[in-house]
Amino acid sequence: MRIFNFHLMPYTGLPPDYEGPSWVTCPNELYDAELGSKLYNRYLDELVYSEELGFDGVCVNEHHQNSYGIMPSPNLMAAILARQTKRVKIAIVGNALPLYNPPTRVAEEFAMIDNISNGRLIAGFVVGGGPEYYSFSINPAYARERFYEAHDIIIKAWTEPGPTEYMGKHYQLRFLNTWPRPTQKPHPEVWIPGVGSLETMDFVAKHRYAYMGIPYFHIDVFERTFNQFREACERQGYTMDPMQAGWLTPIYVAETDEKARQQYEEHFWYFVKRLLPGINISPPGYTTLRSIENIMKGIGSFVSSVKTWDEVEDGNYAIVGSPATVLEKLERNLERLGTGNLLGLFQLGTLPAAETKNSLELFASEVMPKLRARFGGAEPALAGSKEGA
Amino acid sequence: MTTATIDTLTVDTRLGPVQVRRGGSGAPIVYLHSAAGEGEGLPLLPELARHFDVIAPMFPGFGGSEGIEQIDGMEDAVFHLLDLFERLGLGPCSVMGLSLGGWMAAELATRYPEKITKLILANPAGLYVPGANIKDIFGRTPSQMAGDLFADQNHPVAALMHQMDKLITEGGGASIPFEMIKPQIQSMTATARLGWNPYLHNPKLQSRLWRITAPTLVVRSDKDTLVPAPHCETYAREIPNARLVHMPDTAHMVVLEQPAKLADIVAEFIAEG
Repeated sequence: MRIFNFHLMPYTGLPPDYEGPSWVTCPNELYDAELGSKLYNRYLDELVYSEELGFDGVCVNEHHQNSYGIMPSPNLMAAILARQTKRVKIAIVGNALPLYNPPTRVAEEFAMIDNISNGRLIAGFVVGGGPEYYSFSINPAYARERFYEAHDIIIKAWTEPGPTEYMGKHYQLRFLNTWPRPTQKPHPEVWIPGVGSLETMDFVAKHRYAYMGIPYFHIDVFERTFNQFREACERQGYTMDPMQAGWLTPIYVAETDEKARQQYEEHFWYFVKRLLPGINISPPGYTTLRSIENIMKGIGSFVSSVKTWDEVEDGNYAIVGSPATVLEKLERNLERLGTGNLLGLFQLGTLPAAETKNSLELFASEVMPKLRARFGGAEPALAGSKEGA
Repeated sequence: MTTATIDTLTVDTRLGPVQVRRGGSGAPIVYLHSAAGEGEGLPLLPELARHFDVIAPMFPGFGGSEGIEQIDGMEDAVFHLLDLFERLGLGPCSVMGLSLGGWMAAELATRYPEKITKLILANPAGLYVPGANIKDIFGRTPSQMAGDLFADQNHPVAALMHQMDKLITEGGGASIPFEMIKPQIQSMTATARLGWNPYLHNPKLQSRLWRITAPTLVVRSDKDTLVPAPHCETYAREIPNARLVHMPDTAHMVVLEQPAKLADIVAEFIAEG
């Protein structure tokens, strides 16, 4: 198995009296650049430190115009990490392809990061969150079409000799000839995150990419999602490799269960009550009817509906406790979900630097070795190509 | 006079089968619906059918009409209307549209003015008027929308929208039957293809309104807070032979709130010759 430290880079300074959404219309006057400067550098330190602690990789992601995560360009973060780390995989999960015009930009920047890091990039492609379609005024009715075309352009740019051309409905490129080209051949491993869209699962299964389950749902929803993805792979005529699946979950470790909850809970609720509001906005056409029906089955199990800490524990919305407790919960859920990648959110909401560091250290020394002993510890290679897998 | 029957027909078009509601007799009038996709059971249709042969097509992507995947904007919409009019054997006739349908009617009328004898635009979208933005229809809650659409919040449809809001607040909407929200999702998806960005307008439309030749009636619901008054005023000012009429005590969905009164105003306007 592979273990990643996933950072959202949340904004921690929303005033206590602000009760509005965190997304799209959260007034940017609330942003304090001095605090932002501290946060960026602290968060990068936390990711760099994960390499020292023995993590297999680090993850960054893209969201715009919100206080949930101040990382509109994960590629900038990944570029820094490419220089400041030597060994870990750097997973960008991912670039919201329909927001790049032309999407050759993604092929270029990902190739740069793959070169600088000497082949450590994991290339994540996402449709983008619903709020992004408001923030960028991009038409959500074409989100999927643009995503698929952009994907084809990037893969073509990486794998076919240029100059060539691409003629689609949304993008027409007369001279497709991307410089530089990626270090990893035929191209970096590809990850696609999803919340349960059936089309996405079929797409990932067809290309033998890896599917990352998006967090904040009850563990039962994850189980259903990964079972659906497994079925999508079976429909393509093969059995899902565990490395093709990743479970993203908040994790917090302290010396005892009591201490863990006592230190963590308020920061978790800041995240749920202050940073999530507005994330679920689903613009028209962004999701197909059959997938809306599928996703709605889980909507009552979204963490925003959760009221008490007991519900958090029962639903495994966050894995919190002593090293023994966290190990037991992770083992049980990884067994149940069958995912070969564990993506831990070790910093969440307003969780301060000292607590985050302590949790990372306890996890690395007490939990990680035992997970590896049980689920396999070597860093396995997953081919990102259609041919290779 | 007895209430006319409104039949639902299927017409094969270039884009696929579309639903058309039709009833009454006399001169034809085409009714183009709003983003709400109103048509089934719409009280305005039998009211208009007292005077006219009323023809209310469902645009592709709304109700049972297919072919929306081939529509990428108002230009495609106009081509679809041309095709549909031909298949219905319609000569020059009166065309009426509400909101999104008003915008569509104006797009048709600027390009093919000879197809339209009388034009009625009720609370029409389609223009950008600085300082008078059309309110958001894509991301607000049903309750927020109801306040703009209905002057009377006890109207059965308004009451239903408030009820929906309650179900969404309690448990993320998981208790709402999918079949109940499906038409709404379909309508909004189709509308997004026409008007997500630029938002519910065509930046070129205003400079083309001079081409419209049909006598035009712009209907403004005084309590419409979705499409602000300057939109109606701009249409009435820029279309050469246009006049603005105000309807008090009704909001955006005048076709649901005051169908009989609206039908009388339309009939009187068309009878003017």
